[in-house]
Amino acid sequence: MAKITLNINKKEYPLEADPQMPLLWAIRDLAGLKGTKYGCGVAQCGACVVHLDGEAVRSCVTKVSRAVGKQVVTIEGLSETNSHPVQKAWQEIDVPQCGYCHSGQIMSAVVLLREKPNPTDQDIDDAMAGNICRCGTYLRIRAAIHLAADEQKKAAPQG
Amino acid sequence: MIDEQTVSRRNFLKTSALTSAVFSLGFYWPGSGKAAKIVNAAEANNFGVEMNSWVHIDKSGKVTIFDHRAEMGQGSYQAVPQIVAEELEVNLNEISVVFAQGDAKKYGNQVTGGSSTVRGSYKNLLKLSATAREMLIQAGATKWGVPKIECHAEAGHVIHKPSGKRMHYGELVEAASKLEAPKDVVLKKRADYKLIGKPLRRLDTPMKTNGTAVFGLDKMIPGMLYAAVERNPRLRGKVKSFDDSRTRLIPGVKNVFKVKMGVFNTYREGVAVVADSTWAAIQGKKALKVEWDDTGFEHLDSEEIYKRQAEALKTQEGLAFKKQGEPNEIIAKATKKIDVTYETPYQYHAAMEPLNCVAHYQEDKLEIWGPIQAPEWVQDYISKEMSISKEKVIVNMTFLGGGFGRKAFMDYPHEAAVISKEIKGPVQVVWTREDDATQGPFRPGITYRCEGVIKDGEIDAFKVKLAGQNNSHWRGGKKDVPNGSASEGFLKPYTDSIKNLAIMDIPFETPIPTMWWRSVYASTNGFAYESFLDELAHEAGKDPLDFRRAYLKEDRLQKLIDKIEEVSGWKSRKKGEGFGVAITECFSSTVAQVVKVSKLETGGVKVDKVWAVMDCGWYVNPDTIKAQIEGSVVMALGAATIHQVKFKDGMAVDNNFSTYQMPRIADIPPIDIHIMDNDADAGGVGEPGLPPFAPALTNAIFDLTGKRVRKLPFSLLGV
Amino acid sequence: MMQDPKNGKINFVSMKTATVLSVLLFVIAIGASAFRKDETPVKELTLSMINKDSVESVKAFETVYKVLMSSRCMNCHPAGDIPLQGDDSHLHAMAPKRGVEGKGVYAMKCSNCHQETNTPGLHTPPGNPEWHLPPAAMKMVFQGKSAHELAKQLVDKKQNGNKDIKKLIEHADDGLVLAGWNPGEGRTLPPVSHAEFKKAWLTWINKGAYAPKK
Repeated sequence: MAKITLNINKKEYPLEADPQMPLLWAIRDLAGLKGTKYGCGVAQCGACVVHLDGEAVRSCVTKVSRAVGKQVVTIEGLSETNSHPVQKAWQEIDVPQCGYCHSGQIMSAVVLLREKPNPTDQDIDDAMAGNICRCGTYLRIRAAIHLAADEQKKAAPQG
Repeated sequence: MIDEQTVSRRNFLKTSALTSAVFSLGFYWPGSGKAAKIVNAAEANNFGVEMNSWVHIDKSGKVTIFDHRAEMGQGSYQAVPQIVAEELEVNLNEISVVFAQGDAKKYGNQVTGGSSTVRGSYKNLLKLSATAREMLIQAGATKWGVPKIECHAEAGHVIHKPSGKRMHYGELVEAASKLEAPKDVVLKKRADYKLIGKPLRRLDTPMKTNGTAVFGLDKMIPGMLYAAVERNPRLRGKVKSFDDSRTRLIPGVKNVFKVKMGVFNTYREGVAVVADSTWAAIQGKKALKVEWDDTGFEHLDSEEIYKRQAEALKTQEGLAFKKQGEPNEIIAKATKKIDVTYETPYQYHAAMEPLNCVAHYQEDKLEIWGPIQAPEWVQDYISKEMSISKEKVIVNMTFLGGGFGRKAFMDYPHEAAVISKEIKGPVQVVWTREDDATQGPFRPGITYRCEGVIKDGEIDAFKVKLAGQNNSHWRGGKKDVPNGSASEGFLKPYTDSIKNLAIMDIPFETPIPTMWWRSVYASTNGFAYESFLDELAHEAGKDPLDFRRAYLKEDRLQKLIDKIEEVSGWKSRKKGEGFGVAITECFSSTVAQVVKVSKLETGGVKVDKVWAVMDCGWYVNPDTIKAQIEGSVVMALGAATIHQVKFKDGMAVDNNFSTYQMPRIADIPPIDIHIMDNDADAGGVGEPGLPPFAPALTNAIFDLTGKRVRKLPFSLLGV
Repeated sequence: MMQDPKNGKINFVSMKTATVLSVLLFVIAIGASAFRKDETPVKELTLSMINKDSVESVKAFETVYKVLMSSRCMNCHPAGDIPLQGDDSHLHAMAPKRGVEGKGVYAMKCSNCHQETNTPGLHTPPGNPEWHLPPAAMKMVFQGKSAHELAKQLVDKKQNGNKDIKKLIEHADDGLVLAGWNPGEGRTLPPVSHAEFKKAWLTWINKGAYAPKK
């Protein structure tokens, strides 16, 4: 066990953890932020995606030691009022069914839209291929990403 | 059933989830099978019924609606309030929704399965809400001293139009609660609905976009420890011995012991590791060395299972589920007959949220929180298994991260309760994905032998024999009767109108546990029956849809066929273009699907588009229905073309998504969905969209390539 | 998606990807044939220190080729833009794309899953701090290459990442090359040890980096 400090959603969390512990369990069990989900534990399903210095890492295989000194953002920290363009698009299109995978889906989509503000269908396939949705909401995920891109464009300053 | 001596008003208030509620209406369930009687809380007290109810309104006018069914993505959290708010005349966005605890006395059947949430409750919910509304209007009218007929309700207010007076419900609840519930309230006409039938946004969506929805795995209670269990991968095996020396060295591990959980009427053994974090528990489980006793039952491979099914279909006649006319005689005499076999795989539910459950065993009660599809069954089962009186087993439903049938079982809550009792404290038992994927119960893989004769362009004889596990047999179900779901999925008019027909079930068992999986037997039957019908249509030289139409004379089915023909452009298609159709019925809803496929230059085929038309009668939210059909098609696509559970030595081989692959975003074709409008009773929505996809797909592949796919799963690229 | 009905292994790739991949293979085949010549060392390597011996060099390359074409090396030198996976070199599940720098795209960057070290367990992501594919501008394809083609490519600065002989020699001890011999649970090692590989690699280069005839 070691004393480590994680910066999650711009807040410092002093924790005592086995440095080998996956970031996922530190976020969930030690920091008590339950929005990030356990799905497979082997980086196959994407339910556990969080942002680590802006990248959509799979927290289930990321050791907590890798996150020390970096900025972790979870679904809870994406926006204060559930109002990130991706969250709004997800609500507008009523994407989730059971909802379990969507923290990860949203966190992946945010990285896509940051790096490719006008994604094509192929970009969406490429970016979202790592996130499984067993309820089968994929068509709505695609529609919501396009909608978020449009909204983001409208919100951006002109010129 | 009602113990008038022991249940008091005080008791009611104590157990009521909302003690501040002033006006509560609920059903009193006089006994299974009987119509529900509407009572209010005061009356309930007179009955001596300890009850909560669906609708609670407090003095501030705050309306709380209880969702008595599990929310696993199918939309009960939306549907129940949308129904209630309609007749109650409240705004949907002004009400709170709370999951009800498991209690059959209060809520009737709470088992969220069989696509039954709406169809099983809507009439009672409409009546209950309308009754509440009428009582509130009466209270207002009495207060103002005006005739009730001059008053109406709107957006949580009672209004007296002639005078312009209005009061919100909160001001009237006290008076309303003292009124007797009127017997026969008039329900709204469908044309007057403001909420029902509209594609309103789901109430649970915002919680699911910011991480605040609490799933089973997210539940935390003070002092809670975490447990992971190394269970015998073969259900019937036992723990012979275990070595926990390495486990106990892992920091955070608190306790290790043998545990036995009930899986219906059998038990699965394992070794539980209790720790102060999920990670420590999982690490501790991995470090265990367990020796199993797996004697006394067969350890089968998939190949052997299917070999035995094929053999049984060749040599056995089976038990008659339905037999009429002289199918055997006609088939025996026919110079030309179709005699084909369809094979379907075992499947795993693969909900994104692995099984888990929180239990807190205390001396005077046991409380459970979890992603549970059947709270009342859990309550019943644990009460019996652990000898705790039923009312002391409190079962709380969280949101479910998918269920698909698996979370309707009682094993995982029972195991959590047993572990909590052992450690004398609250615990969350977490199943790893590997546990979840390998332990079943699974959907059974079934093989079908279909024989048919065509004469003058019509079916002269139709015979289907099936060999596959009956989900009830290993649970002690009767084995000398055919599977009651032998033709689930197959439209009833066929069995009515085909003169010479036999549906035979060959009893078939393995030690592998099987159970419901979305759309149950229809998920495999649909493939066999609807592929076979397609083969018969081609044998008869008829258009596959025209051929079906001739047997499906009912007006609703004719209209459904008209619609699928219209939306898919069926009539303007050219032969060989890659169109296939299938129509199935289950849980009182009928779904027709057309699939269009085309050849890939690199070999194989791709799905270009899916059209689906659902007739589910009366419905609540068309967007929820569309979502359910989209999901059903995706799930069916995976089961038809990607994944299957394979067994080696009596154990499931693939244990995670790395080898048990799922459909992903690039695999999903556009899906065009239409819903029929009619006045029929509500049918199911969550499952009926699944069975027609696989046969519509393989029928389309036949149309395109002339190749008949008779075994699932198959590779689209391998066609 | 793609499923091999023979062994039941499932490879995941979108239809579009499969098409792109086959087109790429075709283009590579045509392009490669244009370079085919006999055993000639490339200019940059004709240094005085080299003790030329085409027979020994070619013989050493047999070992090098066997290693480079093993799944541990070839899987990250695919013909298409999706890495390969597993001992059978199927297309990587979830079809991650190469990206400009070879580090993946968007939410599908290599290091989102591949950590600095191997993740424990079967079928879990192997790890290395540098985990990536060759960049899009320098794909360094192994898959589908003959020994002749691969040898030519390895010494061609335009195709080998601008490596001169010194850099090529150093490359035998590159972190990612070494990762091939630490593949994580359940994965087959390259056909020879790293020491044997390095010996063959140096012999091949020091004897003139000759390309085999085929």
